[in-house]
Amino acid sequence: MDTNMEDVGRVPTELAPMPPSEPTTIPTLDGWIESLMNCKQLAEADVQRLCEKKCPVTVCGDIHGQFHDLMELFKIGGPNPDTNYLFMGSSPHILTIDINIIVTFAAQRRNRSDYVDRGYYSVETVTLLVALKIRYPQRITILRGNHESRQITQVYGFYDECLRKYGNANVWKFFTDLFDYLPLTALIDNQIFCLHGGLSPSIDTLDNIRALDRIQEVPHEGPMCDLLWSDPDDRCGWGISPRGAGYTFGQDISEAFNHNNGLTLIARAHQLVMEGYNWSQDRNVVTIFSAPNYCYRCGNQAAIMEIDEHLKYTFLQFDPCPRAGEPMVSRRTPDYFL
Amino acid sequence: MADAPSANDELYPIAVLIDELKHDDVLLRLNAIHRLSTIALALGPERTREELIPFLDGQTAPSAPAPNQSLTPLAESVEDEDEVLVALSEELGSFIEYVGGPQYGHVLLSPLENLAAIEEPAVRDKAVESLNKICQDLSSQQIEEYFIPLTIRLSKADWFTSKVSGCGLYTAPYKKISPQVQESLRTQFGLLVHDETPMVRRQSATNLSKFVKEMTAPIVIEEMIPFFQHLAQDDQDSVRLLTVEILIAIAEVVPKDQQASHSVLLTSLRSLIEDKSWRVRYMIADRFEKIAKAVDDETVTRDLIPAFVKLLKDNEAEVRTAIAGQIPGFCSLVDRDTLLKDIMSSVEDLVSDPSQHVRAALGTQISGLAPILGKQETIDHLLPMFLQMLKDEFPEVRLHIISKLELVNQVIGIDLLSQSLLPAIVQLAEDKQWRVRLAIIEYIPLLASQLGVKFFDEKLSGLCMGWLGDTVFSIREAATHNLKKLTEVFGVEWASEAIIPKVMAMGSHPNYLYRMTTCFAITTLATVVSLDVIGKSILPMLEKLVEDEIPNIRFNVAKTYAELVSVLKRLPDEGTIYSLEKAGKTDTTASPKSTELIQQRILPHLEKLQKDDDVDVRFFATTAAGGVPAVGGEPMNTSP
Repeated sequence: MDTNMEDVGRVPTELAPMPPSEPTTIPTLDGWIESLMNCKQLAEADVQRLCEKKCPVTVCGDIHGQFHDLMELFKIGGPNPDTNYLFMGSSPHILTIDINIIVTFAAQRRNRSDYVDRGYYSVETVTLLVALKIRYPQRITILRGNHESRQITQVYGFYDECLRKYGNANVWKFFTDLFDYLPLTALIDNQIFCLHGGLSPSIDTLDNIRALDRIQEVPHEGPMCDLLWSDPDDRCGWGISPRGAGYTFGQDISEAFNHNNGLTLIARAHQLVMEGYNWSQDRNVVTIFSAPNYCYRCGNQAAIMEIDEHLKYTFLQFDPCPRAGEPMVSRRTPDYFL
Repeated sequence: MADAPSANDELYPIAVLIDELKHDDVLLRLNAIHRLSTIALALGPERTREELIPFLDGQTAPSAPAPNQSLTPLAESVEDEDEVLVALSEELGSFIEYVGGPQYGHVLLSPLENLAAIEEPAVRDKAVESLNKICQDLSSQQIEEYFIPLTIRLSKADWFTSKVSGCGLYTAPYKKISPQVQESLRTQFGLLVHDETPMVRRQSATNLSKFVKEMTAPIVIEEMIPFFQHLAQDDQDSVRLLTVEILIAIAEVVPKDQQASHSVLLTSLRSLIEDKSWRVRYMIADRFEKIAKAVDDETVTRDLIPAFVKLLKDNEAEVRTAIAGQIPGFCSLVDRDTLLKDIMSSVEDLVSDPSQHVRAALGTQISGLAPILGKQETIDHLLPMFLQMLKDEFPEVRLHIISKLELVNQVIGIDLLSQSLLPAIVQLAEDKQWRVRLAIIEYIPLLASQLGVKFFDEKLSGLCMGWLGDTVFSIREAATHNLKKLTEVFGVEWASEAIIPKVMAMGSHPNYLYRMTTCFAITTLATVVSLDVIGKSILPMLEKLVEDEIPNIRFNVAKTYAELVSVLKRLPDEGTIYSLEKAGKTDTTASPKSTELIQQRILPHLEKLQKDDDVDVRFFATTAAGGVPAVGGEPMNTSP
């Protein structure tokens, strides 16, 4: 079974003798700890189990603090822990959009409260996901996204939101300290490689990633930064990213990476896609974005990818949830002139 | 300050408050404001009046400290955060009991007057609200001596912010003062109505609709109608649109038989209906039913019916949306012949309105016409509209129609409804939008109970089973609840043949999310199935799922077992929990056979699950077995 890694409270029934050269596998985590305490290395398969995810799992992209749409996501995909989830980062809200555009947008929609009511729930979103992770560590995985960092959260609203809701920056500090410990990538059944951004010229194999010292603030450059910032591109080879961090990578890069590492697919988030998911690079890469009508203006659908126990995947698209309180009402009068 | 308490005990609280009111941290200042009542209580009414209120007065005074101030040095933190000032405005509104009761209430007016003159609207609004609240407790003499001069001062101020606040202070004191003062108040209000800034005129218009309700009909006719007329001709549409409410208020005060003699009202109403600004027409459309109820019958027939039709055809989608919302309300006020002859065809046009919002608004309201029209006209006029709107490309329109079908059902009966609408409903059952599918599911039990088992098995059974395998979790969940309701309608024998085999079949689905539906369905159905069904169909399926490879299935089996145990503990040999409860028997006990099922076929599996490799399986199995779970149950146990 796939979920032994955090098994506790059980004494392993059989403790196999450990030949120094070729350690055999041990069934439970307690067993692993016991043998590790004796300074004995684990079997390679066990080490792998210690670090990996198994299907079935439902893979999700950016949430961006759209708490009500996260609830919609659970309505579509099923509640946690019943359904297993993998979130590929960027749960705090980001406001990449010029404030003038938002104002124009508000005027167009003639509904200012829509934005105010549903805009900033990054604190709630992040706290819920972390609480779920702690309660059901086997059933949910949260990867680090480019916004799960001190610098980005200060620029794009999460810091301000914490300050507004708690009156001080402590909560922001707790969370950004925690973000340092989030894993960067996940591997599903040795076949589907999940991460927030994309590939890095400094990384050729999965072992390169395992060797990274990831417990730190996201740096401005280097492999860790690239994993969280890069994007796939139509052009071949590596390119300079317009984002100012990470790279763009072509189909030749993703094909080679998948081939060299025995992967079938790279699943990533990070970019807004109108249909919620988007295949690219001859199905070597799929982008998944789980914030419908991003920033309440983009009009995009959201999607999640359900991977079943036979690694068969299905995409489920969804729209923003209707507003609480007045669910099925069409446009109302703009209150700013009433 | 550490030694201060011993020497000067009673000054200590105010010293602390003053420190906190001057603190750099907004949050601390805010907290200090919210604790004002505690401080006041500690000081007692007299010192509150003589020290605390003047101090706060100094805090709120716009510039130089007032001369009578005993704590002058503290007046410098005048321009505080709006948030703090809003809180202060609110606190002062309920401060009468702390200054020694209503007879001293007027001492609170001075700080609130300062707050009512501040630039930030949120602060002013709160201050006006509190002033009006205090006004209720003041005596006529206090009002004439302190409150009215305050109102006049604010209304005469140079800057529009004070005048705007002033506009809100006429209604509350009006009835408590002598006729002469009332007259001066009305004169002063007239100046606000004629003010040169639109902000003030807007505010006076907003308040005029409340103000007229305080007056007698003759005064309204003589003095207020000219005010209304002036505002209704304002060159700013943002002012004109507010006069719709005034019109309604005036029409409600002036008796209907006298309205005809005041042609000004009618002329203004007509010009507002025809206003060139859509925002004004929108207000008319939005308040149409209220207007129709306030004016006399002749005006309704002569003016409002043509106006209604005209607004239904308005150029602006916003206006049409608003008037669509008034359809049943207004149509119930006119007689059926006029409705059919003059209005219905324009309503029918809205079905193919270019704006989806108009169609959606029509969708929520159109069913309301059914009781007004009666059976035959509903069939002739409404059914064709429904059929078309059920095919609308915009999902909200479809959803609104479905969710309001109940009203139509009451008028024309389920037979006719199902015959004509069933094909459309079957089509919607596979709608792309899951909320449309959900609305249909919720409608199924009602439909089933009316149609009978044979019709259901032929036409709807396939749909209901199909939803069990829907890609959206919420639909699968709703499908299981639907099955429960259907079992309540058709009985357990029907269920064991028609439903149970299909539910059990889902348990072999290759995807764990769909196998889980079987667990959910069993949990939901537990109270409506008999011992026989549990023993013969349900338990064998769970015995298979308990060995499932996916831990999520195994812990859901544990949850399902928990539900079954609680049902079996009450289940006799015959009947179901639902049928027993319906018959009024609530204190049933388990038959030997159900106890045996628990002991032999559930507990052994739960025991096995409690030793599962997966931590969540063990948790839910332990919970199901009635024990205290090992992990996660405690609030702070964050390391499993």
